[in-house]
Amino acid sequence: MIEFNDVNAALTLLTSSLDAWIWLIPGLAIGLFFGAMPGISITMAMAIFLPMTMYMDFLPSIIFLTAIYTAAGFGGSVPAVLMNIPGTSSAVATTFDGYPMSRAGRHNEALGVALAASVIGTLFAYILLMFLIAPVSRVVLKLGPLELFAVAVWGMLLLGSLTGRSMSRGLLAGAFGVLVGTMGMNTAGHLRNPLELPWLFDGVPVIPAMMGLLAASQLIGLITTDYLIEDEASRKISLKKIIGGMRLALTHPTIILRGSVIGVLVGTIPGVGSSISNLLSYSETKRNAHDADTFGTGNPKGVIAAESANSSSEGGAMATMLALGIPGGGATAILLAAFAMQNIVGGPSFIANNKDIVYAIIFANFAQAVLLLGIGLGFVYIAGYVVRVPLRYLIPSVLVVSTFGAYAIEGNAAGPITLVVFSVIGWAMVRYGYPVAAAVVGLLLGSLLEQNLIRTNQISGGDFIGYAMERPIALVIFALMAISMALSALAKHRRKSRLANLPDQSM
Amino acid sequence: MNNNFTRRDMLRIASVGAAAATVASPAILRAQSGYPDRPINVVIPFDTGGYNDRLARASAPFLQEALGQPLNMINRGGAGALLGHTFFMQQPDDGYTISCSSFGPYVPLNILTQDAPFTVDDFHMINLPSQDYTLMATAADSDIQDAADVIARLQENPGSLSIGIQPASADLVNLMLLLDAHGIERDAVRLVTYDGGGPARNAAAGGVVDIALVGGQGFLPLREQIRPVLVFDEVDNDDWGGDLITDVSGADAEFVYGSQRGWGVHSSFVEKHPDRYEILLNAIETASKSPEMIESLTNQQLATDWRGPEVSNRALRNTAAVMEQHIDLLAGT
Repeated sequence: MIEFNDVNAALTLLTSSLDAWIWLIPGLAIGLFFGAMPGISITMAMAIFLPMTMYMDFLPSIIFLTAIYTAAGFGGSVPAVLMNIPGTSSAVATTFDGYPMSRAGRHNEALGVALAASVIGTLFAYILLMFLIAPVSRVVLKLGPLELFAVAVWGMLLLGSLTGRSMSRGLLAGAFGVLVGTMGMNTAGHLRNPLELPWLFDGVPVIPAMMGLLAASQLIGLITTDYLIEDEASRKISLKKIIGGMRLALTHPTIILRGSVIGVLVGTIPGVGSSISNLLSYSETKRNAHDADTFGTGNPKGVIAAESANSSSEGGAMATMLALGIPGGGATAILLAAFAMQNIVGGPSFIANNKDIVYAIIFANFAQAVLLLGIGLGFVYIAGYVVRVPLRYLIPSVLVVSTFGAYAIEGNAAGPITLVVFSVIGWAMVRYGYPVAAAVVGLLLGSLLEQNLIRTNQISGGDFIGYAMERPIALVIFALMAISMALSALAKHRRKSRLANLPDQSM
Repeated sequence: MNNNFTRRDMLRIASVGAAAATVASPAILRAQSGYPDRPINVVIPFDTGGYNDRLARASAPFLQEALGQPLNMINRGGAGALLGHTFFMQQPDDGYTISCSSFGPYVPLNILTQDAPFTVDDFHMINLPSQDYTLMATAADSDIQDAADVIARLQENPGSLSIGIQPASADLVNLMLLLDAHGIERDAVRLVTYDGGGPARNAAAGGVVDIALVGGQGFLPLREQIRPVLVFDEVDNDDWGGDLITDVSGADAEFVYGSQRGWGVHSSFVEKHPDRYEILLNAIETASKSPEMIESLTNQQLATDWRGPEVSNRALRNTAAVMEQHIDLLAGT
């Protein structure tokens, strides 16, 4: 499956000149910085630096851009952990446990865990990519609306575990998120916009709404507190603890493995990607964990699950892009544009004719992952100082930066207005005991769910069962979902009966 | 309690930030007397990475050279270009804000379906190099052979094929005109609606839908995975080898063009500042005809043909007129 001639050629390509390597570190640094800025998406960071690559050779330009891609994916988790703001939508699940860890004074560990899980996820994804490119190109395009609907339903299962104390309030919050997510023009061209506000034709801007729900609502709630971490002694920035967190991540290889596989597979599907994979991985990990009830209160496993999945989605998206010439999302669209600038067209013939370049890209990404470990360590060390800033400075600064970010995403006042409206909603939800995380998950998955349900209906002419019988992949996904749920229910049952039996034995 | 950050520290940090911002702000490349004497904003009513964004950014180095001023890209995506077009119209008509967009069919669509606060006549086209067309395609391994096959199957049973399409699009108008021309009932076909050209093309290439009607230029990178069935144009500019609509529905077949993309300004700018308009027009013409720009853009599968204002404005207005005739098709499906 791996052709060693091409591997050799790739190594020669990479080692023959320094050019390719010079751009690695600046790319990583740029990616980390932009990824950590709330509101600047990975795509935006890559688009800003795309023109620069016109004056580079092909390999250096691709290495530079993929370095930004890799690092921005991790950069998003830094504000997620420290301030409950997902820098990108792929870091939503990172906030669930990363931020509670920070509040408890375990910010060093949380950042270390996130970094290690990201690096291993990236490495693992590119290793899988070497073997997966060929099969991926055969399967990905065959995925239709029913398959995507199945993925969305799988994601919705997460709602069940985000409900907090009251099931009904959790589901209500989730339903609210789904409803908000379906505003605007639907896929069949019908407009759900009773106020006829032009800003809402595309629905509620998701990222500002998410920032408002998750971050601003938290920060408003902290107004009477002096520091993010109450205990002064815990406010230390400790390299040792960050590295300890990285070690901690290594003790959970199954979670990383599961996260990476989910990340790669979901990443290959055009239009789905890392913003869904981190939720799926978190949900699966929580359901299979023996300490599931501590998830959401600062369990490092939650961070590992989210980060290994969102960073490995990059590898999946790259597989689709290289194998089919199809961009799965904005970031790979920019990479394809960079290919085009160099007069290279992605797609099946590109892989067939340029295996050496494909392997060179993969190897360069291994190097990126390893270097990210070092540069990321320095970055989180500096970023960690946020916990030592008094909240009376931090809260206004973060709100201002978030507002600018929300403006940057939308390019008009709709972003900041959405942020403010959803901050108030988020604050009220927290105040009255409704889980905001469930609303965010509903918001992220609502449109995916609805669009694909509509399309399944259109394509099948209303005959869902008959159509499903012709879609083996969808049936496999549904079956896997059922098996996964059954297994975790069985495990829970066993644990319960073991606990119930314990007193008997002691007697 | 011991504060780690004093007020003075915060002020110091803020001032360093402000200084950095000053240093980083772009210096004016070449000071000139007269227009343009400052950078020109380019409003792109789509997000980064799409055709218009790529076209604007790829053309920028050559236009900057011809104009002697840097171009500043502003992406204002959303609501089918309505937000971007509205924003552009709100900017001063002094030639310091121009736009790179799919004016056709989006300006007419904004007006007909979204109650836009502008008219087609508010826009003046300088050059629309890219004129896309609808392509009907099926998966490379599909058993559908050609346009006659598709029409025959639909005539026998209009619901027999699933058809991938974008709602309220030029492609939908073309499909309905084709159905009318061959006596197929409009309401009986099985439409599967997609939110963008990309997903609809992927659905065709993967055989998720039986056929899809989408902008043809976007199909170019997928050439190996699809079988072109019908080109909605009088000529087969991209050498698909499929049937032409004029072969299938007769020489006077009615159809509309897809995206007409390129450079536009406010119509009021042309009246108010004819001298500036002349300079801008010449710069775009010079750049578009320069061998360097043609080579660079061709490599990126972007169009550079110089059609000029007369042809470009006529093309946009034709599209608007045909769209208006078929306004009933543009509501939700």
